[in-house]
Amino acid sequence: MQDTDHKERTTSRRQFLKAAGTVAGATVGLPGTSKAFDLEELFQQHFRELSQEDLERVLQRMERKYEEEYGKPFSVEATGPLDGVMFGYGLDISRCIGCRRCVYACVDENNQSRDPQIHYIRVLEFEREEVQRWIDFEKGDPFYDHEEVPAEGKLYLPVACQQCEEPECVRACPTTATWQEPDGIVVIDYDWCIGCRYCMAACPYGARHFNWTEPGIPEDEVNPKTHYLGNRPRAHGVVEKCTWCIQRTREGRYTACVEACPVGARKFGNMLDPKSEIRYLIEHKRTFVLKAELDTKPKFFYFYG
Amino acid sequence: MHPHSIEPRGGPSLSPPVRWTIVGIAVLAVGFFALGGGPLKQSTVRAYPSRPLAPEPEPVLLAPPPVDDEFFPCEDCHEGESADPEVRELDEHEHVKLKHGDLWCLDCHDRDQRDLLHLSDDSPVEMSESWRLCTRCHAKRIPDWRAGVHGKRTGYWSGRKEYRTCVVCHDPHSPLFKPLAPKPPPIPASQIHSPTATRSAEMNDAGH
Ligand code: HEC
Ligand code: HEC
Ligand code: HEC
Ligand code: HEC
Repeated sequence: MQDTDHKERTTSRRQFLKAAGTVAGATVGLPGTSKAFDLEELFQQHFRELSQEDLERVLQRMERKYEEEYGKPFSVEATGPLDGVMFGYGLDISRCIGCRRCVYACVDENNQSRDPQIHYIRVLEFEREEVQRWIDFEKGDPFYDHEEVPAEGKLYLPVACQQCEEPECVRACPTTATWQEPDGIVVIDYDWCIGCRYCMAACPYGARHFNWTEPGIPEDEVNPKTHYLGNRPRAHGVVEKCTWCIQRTREGRYTACVEACPVGARKFGNMLDPKSEIRYLIEHKRTFVLKAELDTKPKFFYFYG
Repeated sequence: MHPHSIEPRGGPSLSPPVRWTIVGIAVLAVGFFALGGGPLKQSTVRAYPSRPLAPEPEPVLLAPPPVDDEFFPCEDCHEGESADPEVRELDEHEHVKLKHGDLWCLDCHDRDQRDLLHLSDDSPVEMSESWRLCTRCHAKRIPDWRAGVHGKRTGYWSGRKEYRTCVVCHDPHSPLFKPLAPKPPPIPASQIHSPTATRSAEMNDAGH
């Protein structure tokens, strides 16, 4: 029953779009408009409604586009979630030394803009004494610079997307361009994002970032192994954020930040697997989440190892 | 963070084609939503096939880096001698600066077979298995380490996961983790000169 509903809805929408396409073709095909105004792209369906074949076509089109842009072979996958997986993340604040290796590993893996700079991870430095009982977010300094870290008397708290179970950002989005996947990752369809930035206002963790200009990624640094909902290069005018390296983690790999952390403070895995490190730390360690009072239910747990 | 802080100050003016495109899209959007667009009721993606999880293999312990050839095998110099148990300034091994509780060499290194370490009952331990030595005094750390929570796992959370022995991170002679030079801090808004980029960085500063 529901299925038929769904089919009817999408067919009628598709017909409408086809008709509209002709009209729009006439309107936007003006001389002097953007170099690659791709109609197919404009009328692409919502990611969640694409059939297998349509998705395949979309991915191929994107690969061609990126190959042209960056002059090397690209893969854009749309690997789905694994059955029986709910991801969780742990960060041991008694180990983190504030070296920022994770920040730059993330930039490289996830094709964040170098200029202007976008960083998904911000490492906040606190006075150890001030955070004995309570972490006041606003007191954290992301700009610290020392010869060596850890600096005497400091505590470090890296913050990125908390992958909330009750994501305020998703609720705020007027176009359903962002949602939570079955494995718990909150993703963005950059092709449906209209850049209104309501999600950024809604996020209590400052985890979302906007491309105010065309992102700048040197061709030789771009990572060509991408996922539709993850690290494929973004365009000017869309919001982006950490996706727990969806292009890696859906293939069973650890995130780039876990791999990069020299002290082993970062933990990632399947919360439904009783033998995973994330389950172990939830069961055996003292954990806390950021801004618990907001009831956003982060799946990102800070702990004392 | 306040909602109003993200409003762009004096947004860029739009060229006529862009403006027309926006009007066009707005018209299309109305038709689109009227025909049943809007919030998606599906809970998952249509195109996703079922992907069962493979059974997890046991984690793989990576071999520690081998002890420097310059000193190994130790027996090159120490063959057939029994160590002098006295705590003293050594004429050799200056680079070994002990800063580990108040241990002395022979608490860990075997007195008669210098290529080996030893446990409290004097049973020998190969250098490559030095984690067993650490277990003797730091047994509390071991379950966390085995679970991948102390130390570091890499590779595959689902598949081949690798973990490391203690000496990869802790020099047994002075085990505190060595300080590192941090990577550069993020660029503060005030140091980015392009007006649009400034906004981007301010935005990023505001969110933390
Ligand atoms: C180049 C020769 C040489 C090599 C190779 C060498 N040692 Fe030594 N080592 C010495 C000398 C000489 C002394 C005695 C220094 C003193 O008495 O002041 C010494 C002293 C020691 C001592 C102090 C206790 C004692 O015997 O008096 C320990 C422990 C020790 N060595 C361990 C090792 C280990 C472990 C290795 C291998 C990883 C090694 N050495 C390799 C030359 C060497
Ligand atoms: C806490 C136990 C412990 C104590 C105490 C200790 N060692 Fe070691 N030592 C080790 C272990 C474990 C290794 C192997 C390290 C590796 O696998 O990288 C080692 C390696 C060495 C090596 C070869 C590698 C290197 O760093 O040059 C030498 C030489 C050595 N020890 C000498 C000494 C001397 C001399 C002393 C006393 C002054 C001493 N050790 C005290 C545990 C200890
Ligand atoms: C014979 C007992 C003994 C053995 C064997 C031993 N340790 Fe220790 N370790 C100690 C003592 C004692 C301390 C000091 C504890 C304190 O200060 O509270 C210590 C402290 C440490 C610390 C904390 C350093 C600090 O300054 O706070 C680390 C890390 C450590 N050990 C790692 C290791 C590793 C890795 C091994 C194996 C290579 C090892 N230990 C083997 C007894 C031992
Ligand atoms: C990936 C790196 C890594 C590995 C592998 C590792 N540790 Fe640690 N360990 C750390 C860091 C970082 C700290 C924080 C304290 C410091 O700065 O040394 C620490 C702290 C410790 C301490 C001090 C007490 C504490 O909890 O702060 C002990 C003891 C210790 N480790 C023992 C071990 C033993 C034993 C092993 C092997 C079974 C091991 N570690 C493996 C990184 C590591």
